[in-house]
Amino acid sequence: MKNSINNHTRHHRRIYVRRKVCRFCADKSMAIDFKDHRTLSHFITERGKILPRRITGTCARHQRRLTAAIKQARIMALLPFTSGHIIKD
Amino acid sequence: MELRHYETFYLLHPDLTDEERASISEQLQEIISKKNGKTVKIDPWPLQKLAYMVKKQTQGYYVVMEYGMPSESVSEITRKLQLNEGVMKFITIKLNDKFDPEALAKARNESAPPAETVEEALDPDQSVEKREKE
Repeated sequence: MKNSINNHTRHHRRIYVRRKVCRFCADKSMAIDFKDHRTLSHFITERGKILPRRITGTCARHQRRLTAAIKQARIMALLPFTSGHIIKD
Repeated sequence: MELRHYETFYLLHPDLTDEERASISEQLQEIISKKNGKTVKIDPWPLQKLAYMVKKQTQGYYVVMEYGMPSESVSEITRKLQLNEGVMKFITIKLNDKFDPEALAKARNESAPPAETVEEALDPDQSVEKREKE
């Protein structure tokens, strides 16, 4: 019984990952702007999907703004809606 | 009439000449000044690749325009852009409910270094290098 608890705690410790910090909170000068597609592209997948908060570590407040900015950038053809429509050279 | 701070970002057809692009910008500024508004920033970007095809075009010219204007008159800017064949896409965003050109100028002078980074980001050659490094 005791053994299993120890195992559990050890296992728990192992899966513990460093807490991610919101990049926009850490660097106050970093503004979310829909025209800045280079920054926004860090927060989308290869397929053009918006990355979830649990992966990027962005805080709720900034994630909301980020989502809006990415969508605006998509409308203006700065970011792709889907990788299928990306222009090939 | 109270002015609000707006930003209009539009995409122009790649086949337009420099003069045609300048005239669109002038027409918009004319509307703004006619409605007692004030233009604070016009930033035309160099020819840029698009993320997807728009009107069968793979590239285009973006222009950023920041101005203060009464809220009722913004629809005229929208109308102008909609009627112009050379404008492929546009978006107008309210940046602030209040418009104070002096405070804006002050903030811009204080944040002179960030302005340089914006220019850097707009340079297409540099961006290619950066992407390759990544």
